[in-house]
Amino acid sequence: MKSNRADAQHVVSRLMRESLVDKKVIAGTEAPVHAILPKLNVVQIGGLSIMDRGRRAVLPLLDEIVANQAEFTQVIGVGPGVRARHIFSVGLDLGLPTGALATLAAKSSAQNAYMVACLLADSGFVYLEAPFIVQLLPAMLAAARGAVFNGIPPYDLWEHPPAVGKVPPHGSDAGSYLVGEVFGARSVILLKDVDGLYTADPKTNPDAEFIAEIGAAELIARQLPTLPIEPVLLELLLRARLAKSIRIVNGLVPGNLTRALNREPIGTLIHR
Amino acid sequence: MRGDNSGLTELGKRLISGSLSDMTLQRATEQTPDFAILPWVNTVKIGGQSIMDRGRSAVMPLIDEIVANLPHHKMILGIGAGTRARHIYSLAIDLGMPVGVLTVLGTAVAWQNAQMLQYLLAKHGIAFLEPEGFASLPHYLMERGAVICQGMPPYKLWEENPEIGRIPTAAHRHGLLPDRGGLWRAQDDLCERRRRALHRRPKKGPGCSPHSAHQRAGAPGAGPGRSRGRAGGSRLDADRMAHLRNSVRQWLKPGQLSAALAGDPVGTIIFNAEPKAAFAAAAP
Repeated sequence: MKSNRADAQHVVSRLMRESLVDKKVIAGTEAPVHAILPKLNVVQIGGLSIMDRGRRAVLPLLDEIVANQAEFTQVIGVGPGVRARHIFSVGLDLGLPTGALATLAAKSSAQNAYMVACLLADSGFVYLEAPFIVQLLPAMLAAARGAVFNGIPPYDLWEHPPAVGKVPPHGSDAGSYLVGEVFGARSVILLKDVDGLYTADPKTNPDAEFIAEIGAAELIARQLPTLPIEPVLLELLLRARLAKSIRIVNGLVPGNLTRALNREPIGTLIHR
Repeated sequence: MRGDNSGLTELGKRLISGSLSDMTLQRATEQTPDFAILPWVNTVKIGGQSIMDRGRSAVMPLIDEIVANLPHHKMILGIGAGTRARHIYSLAIDLGMPVGVLTVLGTAVAWQNAQMLQYLLAKHGIAFLEPEGFASLPHYLMERGAVICQGMPPYKLWEENPEIGRIPTAAHRHGLLPDRGGLWRAQDDLCERRRRALHRRPKKGPGCSPHSAHQRAGAPGAGPGRSRGRAGGSRLDADRMAHLRNSVRQWLKPGQLSAALAGDPVGTIIFNAEPKAAFAAAAP
């Protein structure tokens, strides 16, 4: 260490005085990752696709979650649905930036998650806000029978501006996936109102072909005009360490969630 | 409520009924106005390793300069993590912790540094706001001229994996830079850092060469070891506030912060000359 009067007071470590933006230093930090909760199954309930349809869509699904409770540890992420679209519309009209839109939209998914938690409360599910996911999820899963969380990640004002446009890129698909990745979950299941991925939007194009399984890189390369999931999720999958696949399943069809939890080939599997 | 959503704007109708993964819809959101929430604020990032870890000799003169500028400039002071973060990253990687856990751990170090700075500025009425308290930010800025916050954003366990290695990228030192610059339309983003200018190999003495005083974000010469957070360049490309400048200032000379706040050409300015062109390049 130089005897510079103003030199820093370092703690000895491998990264001491290294630039954390130096690619060689960063590459040297690659190491195996411990799966914190490897039995966890992250189940994401779509906002627009499921929640906004009300009891007809939601209640059978929650029954199926409860039916699987004994066999599978499930944490349920919930999306915001049409209220987020509405506040994007008003917020963009007012000129609000991405970080403000993300903060606002996260409240809409918190509302949906809270309602799901109320409906699952008598089966022992708890609603956990982000700070409690950080501190209490393992304890809650040991004591409770499952948990419900806000699908949108807690980025708030610090949400990354997208390359194109102003809509927050990380919604409830990305947030639910990131919970699966950080805890090393057994599976990440996204419940939507489509059977999976198609070569085109099946709602508008009858010739659309079903895709049962595809790599994230290949899917990005195909540049499909629309996707039933957030495009940022594909980039996250490319960098997966533990949660190396997601499954898109039609949550309006009874039995689909159970099949997905049992790792049967249902819906579309997108892997790293 | 009318059944046809006719009270919505044209864009609003597309947002309600369309897919957010549709790039033409994303591009349409570009046409909306940009409202600057706090157009008069300056965000000042104080380095963890480069400043705070040096203790009294580095921090006290900077405190004096911040206090001297309180009557003249509004400042959000964000503090970085530094050597204790490097220690806990080493340890946590060795124990197999995922990136999201590293972010939780690293953010605690930035919190410690911010809290220390707040003790030093407390007698001047300066508050420390955690992310949850940011709604009070305008009040504190109007009343006291500055607030302190942790320099790392609150990504917590939701930190994305980096492309290479295990160091948190998005959160690390990127918290106060262009994201919030865009949000607050900061007059200036001032990085109070050790180096006189950007260097290709900033921590290694010989062979390091300063870049030109003005460098475009994401330019090829921006080095393997820039002195700003790694994610900063791409975020700056995405920033829509064309006049936003990120300045990397040298702290050691007293007066540099004051000069930077006054808009004088000290240190290095990184800017995004053509933000719309960057969007066009990013679109398929």
